[in-house]
This record gives sequence, C-alpha cells and structure tokens, in this order.
Amino acid sequence: MNALEIESISKRFGDFYAVKKLSFEIPPGTIYGLLGPNGAGKTTTIRMVMNIIIPDEGSIKVLDRRMDEEMKERVGYLPEDRGLYPKMKVGELLLFLAEIKGLKGSEARKEIDFWLERFDLSDWKSKKVEELSRGMQQKLQFIVTVIHQPELIILDEPFSGLDPVNTKLLKDIMLEMKEKGRTIVFSTHRMEQVEMICDNICLINKAESVLEGNLSQIKKEYGKNTVVLDYDGEANFIKNFPEIEKIDDYGKFMEIRLKEKSAPQDLLPKLVGKININKYEVREPTLNAIFIEKVGGKEIKDEEDTVSH
Amino acid sequence: MRKILSVIKREYIQIVRTKGFIIGTVLGPVFMLGLIVVPIIVSSASVEKQETIGVVDLTNEIYTELDNKLDHKDYRLKDGFRRYLLEKFEPSPGIKEVRNALREKVLKKEISAYIYIPEDVLEIGPAESAARDSEQEEEKVEYVSEHTTDFEELRALNRALNNVVVEKRLKREGLDPQKVAQYIKRVELQPIKITKKGEEEDTAGTFMISYFLALIIYMAILIYGQVIMRGVIEEKSSRVVEVVLSSLKPFQLMMGKILGIGAVGLTQFSIWTLFGIGASLYSASFIPSGADFAMPSIPAHVFIYFVIFFILGYFLFGTLYAAIGSMVNSEKEAQQLVMPVTMFLIVPIMLMIFIIRAPDSSLSVFLSMIPFFTPILMFLRITVLLPPFGQIGASVVILTLTIVLMVWLVAKIYRVGILMYGKRPKFAEVVRWIRYS
Repeated sequence: MNALEIESISKRFGDFYAVKKLSFEIPPGTIYGLLGPNGAGKTTTIRMVMNIIIPDEGSIKVLDRRMDEEMKERVGYLPEDRGLYPKMKVGELLLFLAEIKGLKGSEARKEIDFWLERFDLSDWKSKKVEELSRGMQQKLQFIVTVIHQPELIILDEPFSGLDPVNTKLLKDIMLEMKEKGRTIVFSTHRMEQVEMICDNICLINKAESVLEGNLSQIKKEYGKNTVVLDYDGEANFIKNFPEIEKIDDYGKFMEIRLKEKSAPQDLLPKLVGKININKYEVREPTLNAIFIEKVGGKEIKDEEDTVSH
Repeated sequence: MRKILSVIKREYIQIVRTKGFIIGTVLGPVFMLGLIVVPIIVSSASVEKQETIGVVDLTNEIYTELDNKLDHKDYRLKDGFRRYLLEKFEPSPGIKEVRNALREKVLKKEISAYIYIPEDVLEIGPAESAARDSEQEEEKVEYVSEHTTDFEELRALNRALNNVVVEKRLKREGLDPQKVAQYIKRVELQPIKITKKGEEEDTAGTFMISYFLALIIYMAILIYGQVIMRGVIEEKSSRVVEVVLSSLKPFQLMMGKILGIGAVGLTQFSIWTLFGIGASLYSASFIPSGADFAMPSIPAHVFIYFVIFFILGYFLFGTLYAAIGSMVNSEKEAQQLVMPVTMFLIVPIMLMIFIIRAPDSSLSVFLSMIPFFTPILMFLRITVLLPPFGQIGASVVILTLTIVLMVWLVAKIYRVGILMYGKRPKFAEVVRWIRYS
C-alpha cells in the first residue's frame, strides 16, 4: 500500500494547464519532495490531493482510499497561504482545529500541551494569536498541522519564511515523524532542504513532471562528473575549455559539469597556478544543478517557442 | 454533525465574548427606550419661558379678550406664571409706522413677536363669495417674529385667537357661543377590533407594536447578515479558511457559521425579551390602575410567529450574505454586492404602511407570499389581521423551499468563492461555479 498514489491527474483553468498528466507514488514512511519553480503546479497538485480542487481527469488515492471527509482526519495539511484566527486565544484555536479533525476534548488538550511545550509556546497558551510574533505563528501553524497525529502529512512550502533555528526544528520534527512511520510530502523550490531529507522527489515544471524517482538513484544517474571548486581569482577562462559542459559560477564558488567522457582529474592541472584553489571536489551533481539543467534549459527553449509563434 | 457543532460553538463563543456584543446587548434596550422616552422628556421640558408679544389690534375689540384668554391656566407656564405677556400698540401715527417700530423691537429682542390683527377679521361676508374674497388679497392676521418654527407656540396662540374671534362673530349674530360649542361638538370614531376570541378596544398600540416588531426583524436580519458576511471575509483574508477546509466541507463551515451567529441573535433577543418583561412588570407596579396609559401587550401567537419569521428570514438572507462574503476580498468590495440584498429588505419596509391599511387585499396577500418579503410582510399581516392559516402555511412552505434552494446554490458559490483571491468574479463566472461544482 502506498501512502499516496497519483495517477495521471490534470487540471485546467481555462486554456491554461496548471497540472498535466502528473503521476507519482509515495511509499509509506518516506519523505517525498515536490520540486519546481514558482507557478509549476505544486500547490495545485497538493490542493487536488486535499480535495479542495477537483482534478479534471486522473485519480488520487490517499492511504489507499479516495479522499473524503473521514480521510481528512488522517491527513495533516499545511497550506501555502498560512492563516489562523487572529482574535482567538492560542489554546482555544488549537482546541477548535483539533476538534474539527475529530479529536475528543481531553485527548486534544493533552496533545495541545505536549506540542506547545515542544515548541516552547506554553506561556502563550492564553494569549491571542495576533499577539504572537511571526515566527511563533509559524510554529503554531505547524502544530495545527500535526496535532491529530496524521498518517500522511502534506506541507506546502513548509520552510518559506522560517529563520535558521525554526528551519532546523521543523526538519528535526519531520525526520522524527518519518521514524514513527508517518509519510511526509512537501513542496519547495529550495534544493538544499530536499537534498538533506528527501527519499524521493518529483520535479515539476510547467505543469508536467520532468524528473521523478529515488533521489540517490537520480544523482547516481547523473554520474560523478561534477566538480565543485572553491577559489580566489579570475576564473573566466575555464569556460573556454573543451571538456566543460556547463558552469554555475558564484564568484568564489563554482559548480562545473564536465562532458561525459572527460575525467575530472584532467581539469585540475589546467587550473593550478592560474587561480587560488581552496577546494577541489569531485562529486555527484547537486540537486540544484540538476534542477537548473532540467528546468532552466527547458524554460529557455519554451521561450524561444513562444517568440516564434 | 459533530464538526458543525464545533464550528457553531466557536462562532458563538467568539462573538458573545466581544465587547461589541456586550455593549450592544446592554445598550440596545437603553437606546430603544431612549428613542421613545427622550423626545417626550425633551418636548415636555422644552425651554419654555415668558415671552412678551406685541399686539396691533385694528378691530379694537380683540385685545382685551385675547389677553384674558391667555391668562387662563391652559396657557400658563408650569410654575403658574403667564407664558405670554401681551402689550398693546396703538396704530398711530399710522399702521405702517407702528409696524416698522414693532419690527425694530422684535429685532432688538425687546419683544419676541408681534401679532397684527386687521380690521375686517370679524366680518363674515357672504358665504358664496368666500372663494372670491380670498382672491382679493384679504388682509391676514400675522404673527411676525424672528423664528416662526415653534409650532407648539403658534398652535397655542392660534387657538386662543380663534376662540376669541369666533366667539365675537357669534355674539354679533346674537348666538350663544356656549350653545354653539355644544351643537358642533365632534364625535370620534372608536375603532374596535373583533377577533374570534371576542372584541377588544383597539388603540394605536397594535399599530405601534406591529410596526416595531417588523422593524426588529428587519434590523436583526440586516445586522446579523452583515456579521455573517464579515466573518466569511475575515476567514478569507486571514487565509485560515484553507486550514479549516482541510478538516471539514465548505458546506459544514458555512452552515456552522450561519447557525452559530443565528444562535447569538436568539440569545440577544432572549435577553431583551426578559429585560422587556422585567421592565413592564416593574413599571406596571408604578402606573396606577386607573391611568389611561395601557401597556401594549404582545399576544402569544404573535410572539411565536415573530420567532418563526425571524429564524426563516435570517436563514434566507444569511445564506445570501455568506455568498457575498465568499465572493469578495474586502468589506469595501462587498458594499456594491450588498445593495441588491438590502433592497429586498427595504422594499417590504416601504410597503408596511400599505399592508397595515389593507392587510387582506389581494395585493397584500401576493406580496406577503414573495419569499424575500414574507418574513416582514406576512408577519406584519399576522399582527394586524390574522390571515387564514392556509396563507400563513403556504408562505412558510414557499419560504422554506426557497431557503433550501438558496442553501444549495450558495453552497456551490461559497465552495469556490472562499478559495478565490484577486479580482471579484463577474456574474457569468458565478453562474459557471454553480454549474460546474
């Protein structure tokens, strides 16, 4: 049984495809990353899973069943647009949102105290939501998502706007949930988070899936022909080497992708003496590089298409 | 169902606890009482003071008697002093000069006004030429003052002056004014309302109560409808709605909200009713039994229908307000859409006088059957003249069916609307939401 099965779903708004023939499966107890640039269709996909938007075609199975009201109690959802009742007190808000998730009063109160303690918000229980800082509200929002111990947790851009401390807290809790056997799906356009915690990913661009599968497998397929260079000096000349496929230059840091048959160790001698090398690392490509290659290239091509129309 | 209950509970507690609700509940009756009591107090305690009024009496017959009349206790101030002191001015050297002089005195506030009585006031003239005479610029009795809007004062002076003039005319003809007064004593039509239970003397009470209760239905729907709308807009703009919808259906959220706010309304009414009963019991102990002031009472059936029509009306309009709230992004944007809904409420209010005058005319029956008018107009008809039960039943059935239809339609609009941000949808788009969802 998969925690989530999406089969060939499409959603159109007018003539515009928000999601087109998208399919993926999420095995239970894993963390799944839904990647893509802004406007790729991640949120629409998630909303279709949550039964907020109904797909034009295709089918979605959540925990082996169709999504309905009963299923909503087994799913936790953090929407892209965060929102809470600003005038309610923290404790009351959590109680209400836990109750409509099907939790009984006493059970809910226990969970509320546990999570407030965990997120260091216990002192704020009887304060109004609007009195909390932005960071605290984000923590509160996350508590709302998981308070009913959902089997499947769906997070739309969970890290956006979080400071490093809260980012770490959230990441730790996500891994903890995974250990407990929960399944987590989250969308993001920030690659480093995905690399750290995801088991599987789906890369969406322009409503369609462009890359899907196990993260370590994907990286392996791209091979060990990426060089990460940490340097000082003028490195522009590297571009002109024949064995270079692609370069992302950040000024003091460079990710170089070599052409398929060239060996990384042949490049190093050509650099010695011309620039200061602090680090020279041969590794799998970063997800960022894969992302840019997959998405960036296609985007440029598409733009050319539209111009020629 | 349990989830709807949670929503109802939340809505109810959140509103009942606000300062606005507490203040509104306490001040509501105070305000309404004030609306009735304050004008009475103000008019009875009005700034009455002694005034000197100049009189130019060209007949030379009226002044003395007018002065006597105004000495009567009817025209005196509460503390027994004369309200109007008269001062006679002779028309010498000429009428024009005197009037100019008096004009100056009025402007200098030496006297508050002067009355000019022309010579021919006591003439009667042939009856048939009355119309012609008026065309001939008959000289008028004039009241000249800086301010001429104190109708209370004008009426008093007018009455005194007319009494004097009419008495004088009668005496000239050799008639006894007292006798004539007896001859022309007016009769009053006393309305007696009969019902199957018997008859009762009808006073202005029924009319006032009907009008008042219908207005309360109107106000309550308007106010609580707006509360629903604002609640929906708030959920939308705080973006909490998507969180809530990950747990329950849009329909559950909508119904929970409407029911919860409706419960707030009923709570407020209950408090006011108890307050009213308490107040009337309390005040009844003060009013002596023989007083001609009868506390208007509300018959039990009227009260029951009041509750029924308030609830039905609230539901019908509540769904509309919920739909509007879901379609817009801000209260400002909502104002344009609210207009037509408010019209549905204002039209029956404008028809009220007509319905009260002709409660069983076929037009009244027809109007009270239109579901958007029923809560106010059918209720009004019930208070004025109990219609056949078939008509009441029919109107309730039509209204209920309309509510069911509206809830069904609005649920579709609401479902799409609450997750839509940005431009307000056009009518055609809303129709599409209804068709596709």
